[in-house]
This record gives sequence, structure tokens and C-alpha cells, in this order.
Amino acid sequence: MNMQQREEKQLEATIVAILNRVNDLKTAIQALINKLETEYETINWPTFLDNYAILSGHLTGLSKILQAEQAASLRSRIVLPLQLSCERDETLAHLTEGRVPACTHDLVPDLLRTKPEPQAEQRLQQFNHKASTLSYDTAQKHIAQFTKVVSHVWEIISKGREDWEGESMRSTGMQPTHNIADTHALVTAVGTGKGLRPGMANMVGQGAAGMGPARGPAPQLGPAPSTLPKAPSAIKTNIKAANQIHPYQR
Amino acid sequence: MSANAAPITATDSLSQALKANIIPNQEYLLQGSVLDSAVEVLLHRLRGLCDNVDAGPETFDDQEVCFSLRDPNHHQAPPLMLRVRKALDARDMPFQLRYIGQPDLGDKNRPTVVRSSLDIACSGMLIEFLNELGCRIEFEYSVKGYMFRKGRMKITVAKVFKISQNSMPPEPISQSYLVELSVLAPQGQDAIGEDMRAFADQLRPLVQLDKIDYKRLGHMSVS
Repeated sequence: MNMQQREEKQLEATIVAILNRVNDLKTAIQALINKLETEYETINWPTFLDNYAILSGHLTGLSKILQAEQAASLRSRIVLPLQLSCERDETLAHLTEGRVPACTHDLVPDLLRTKPEPQAEQRLQQFNHKASTLSYDTAQKHIAQFTKVVSHVWEIISKGREDWEGESMRSTGMQPTHNIADTHALVTAVGTGKGLRPGMANMVGQGAAGMGPARGPAPQLGPAPSTLPKAPSAIKTNIKAANQIHPYQR
Repeated sequence: MSANAAPITATDSLSQALKANIIPNQEYLLQGSVLDSAVEVLLHRLRGLCDNVDAGPETFDDQEVCFSLRDPNHHQAPPLMLRVRKALDARDMPFQLRYIGQPDLGDKNRPTVVRSSLDIACSGMLIEFLNELGCRIEFEYSVKGYMFRKGRMKITVAKVFKISQNSMPPEPISQSYLVELSVLAPQGQDAIGEDMRAFADQLRPLVQLDKIDYKRLGHMSVS
């Protein structure tokens, strides 16, 4: 019972994830179509290809979800078309945003297809056939050629990267952007007040209790520095605090 | 909670919050600095990395006074330190009273410094109140700089100034800006430390954000 519930939950989560991805994909496609329709005069190849990159990113995400283990339970589910009808089905039309008005004989073979299209399948078979008849030597030759090209490109890229990194290293090497001593000075100043105590540089160790308030600076933190009557009161309380520094000792 | 239960007091809800561990009283902290000459580059990079970029970086200009309260029965015991902070550029904002605990660096595997931290907003009467309590001013300084946000993380890039007595312009502590990356979180949320490390790595080699034990540094320079 519990197991079943868990499975159902998992299925639901998977479907939600897939739905999200498909919706992402849909909006991306819509955006591309929109772009093509409105900007066909100004669009350039890089932006066009960027849009394709977005599409392929969404497709990869979708296939990742489908490959994930949680999606395994989907394999055991069957979609069975029970009834085909030529009459318009309002719910279906609404669900598909008006694209599929009825579950007809025309559409079902396309929508429920789990294999590639016959044409594509045929071409794939052709290729497979060609590959299987290829002799071992020719195949090796092709592979060697291809490896050569790829390694050449790899060399060019890695050389470029080295140059680029060397340059950026050099430029940062010439001008250090931080200084450990400064870091330590700042952190100690903020943490312990080192270098911030006016005239009491070596007060830390000795009994600082008695002399502190008298020498310490008047707090400049009043509500506003311009309100003059406030300042004397702050000093007064300061002195008072000094007298009462051990209020609980009798 | 039943309807006829006794009314809940503030103490009750506080202790309940403590029990549920939802009070963000731990500060995860990494510190570093950047030279004045490179601060523009760092700000630029932070603008690219952080969340609040469309409105431009938030600036702040604060003054902080650190008070100490000694235990009269234990002279050797380290004093309790309390910090009061006030925004100089926004006068109507409340004062901030802050307690910061001992920094815990942990072992090598801990990504950040962890210290307990309690903040509370206060009125301007706070200074007088602390004086009446017997608190002494230890030191004060002002910090002026920029604040960035990235999720829960807060990044500040600020210049620390010594406050001069006789209306002289404030004097900077060093030729660098202090850079701090911090998160306030309830106890035990150590995963955030890893996120902070990852973020700190993105600022390298411009800034080296690290766990710094100022206590040890302070002792080294005094003795």
C-alpha cells in the first residue's frame, strides 16, 4: 500500500518535471517563431543559433529527465487509444490550446508514434548497411584521418588558451590586487580595535578599568551631532559610569 | 495549541523559537581585503555576480562604537564586548546593538569562521543606557562602502576609518578595502559554508577571502 503510494508520488513528480520541461521547450519554440516572424529582416546568424542552442538545451534537459531512474516507471505504462472520433472534443481542444480539436484517424498515428518516421527509419537502415559493408581497413583510415583533424583543432585551441591565460596571469602578476598585511590590519582593527584607540595603544594588558572612560573619546554616536545639548549629557554619563565601574562590590 | 491555554508571552515564543532552532544566531564569515587601486575591478565583478545589480550597489556609511563590560568579580575574565552601529547616511534608521561571540575556526575542513551573533535594533537612548550599565567605550571607527547580496549571502566592500578627535577628516586604516562575506543562519546549517567557499573562489585572485583569527593575530602583534 505504502509502496504504491510512493510510486504514485514519484510518477506525479516525474510528470510535473516533464511537463515543466515541455512547457519551457514550447515557449522557446514560440519565441523563435515569433522572432522569425517579426525580425526576419534584421535577425543575424549568431542570435538565430543562440535560439537553437536554447532549444537544444531544453531537449537535453528533457531527455535527461526521461533517462533518470525515476522515469523508469513510465516504461511500464501504456497509452491505449480507446476511441477515435471525428467530432470536435472541447476538452481536448482546450488542453492543446486549440491545436488538436479531435482525436481523429489522421492525427493518432503521428501523436502516438514511438518509433522514428518511416522515412527516417529507412535512411537509418541505409546508413547501418553502409557501415556494416565497409572494410576494416577503410574504416581505420577514416578514423585516423578524423583523429588527426580533431587533434589539430585541439592543439590550436589549447595553444590559444595558454596564450590567453598566460596573458591574464601576467597582468595580475604585475599588479597584486590584495595585500595580506592590509587584510590582517583591517580585520584586527575591526575585531579588537587595534590602531583605533586614540592614545591607548598599549592598554590591552593592564587594568584598563579605571582610566578608560576618562580618556576614551566621547561617543560621537548621538542621535545627531548638531543637537548640542545632547553631547554634554553623554560625557556626564561617561564620568558617572567611571565612578560606578564596580557597582556590585562593597 | 488549545483555545483555553494561557496567553503566550514574548518569553514563551522566544524560547519556542530557540527550541525549534529557527533563530539565525550564527554568523558564517570569510574576510579579505582589496587594494584601493583594484577596488573598481572588484565592484565590477561583484555587480556581475550578485543579485541586487539592477538598482546599482547599495552604499552604506556607518559608525561603530565598541563597548566593553567587565565582570567586577572576575578581573581576569575577558570583558563582554558590545557593538553599537549607526548609519551616518540614514539618520532615521535605528541604532544597531550587536553581540559577537568568539570566532570558531574549527579544523581545516570547515569552510568558514563561525561565531554567534545577536543583533537588535535600538533607539538613540542606547548609548546612555550602556553607560549606565557600566560599559566603557573601547574603540570606535567608521565604515563606508558597498553592500551586495547573493541569495542569503551578504558581501560588503568597505573602507575602515579611524575617527579623529578634532574635526579632522577621518583617517583610513590602510590602503585597502575590507571585504567581508557573511551569512546569518540558525545553528547547524553548515552547508551554507560550502556555498560561501564557492562564491569566494569566484572572486579569486582579485580577493583572497579566508578564515582569519583576529584574536591570534592580535596576540602575535602585542607580545
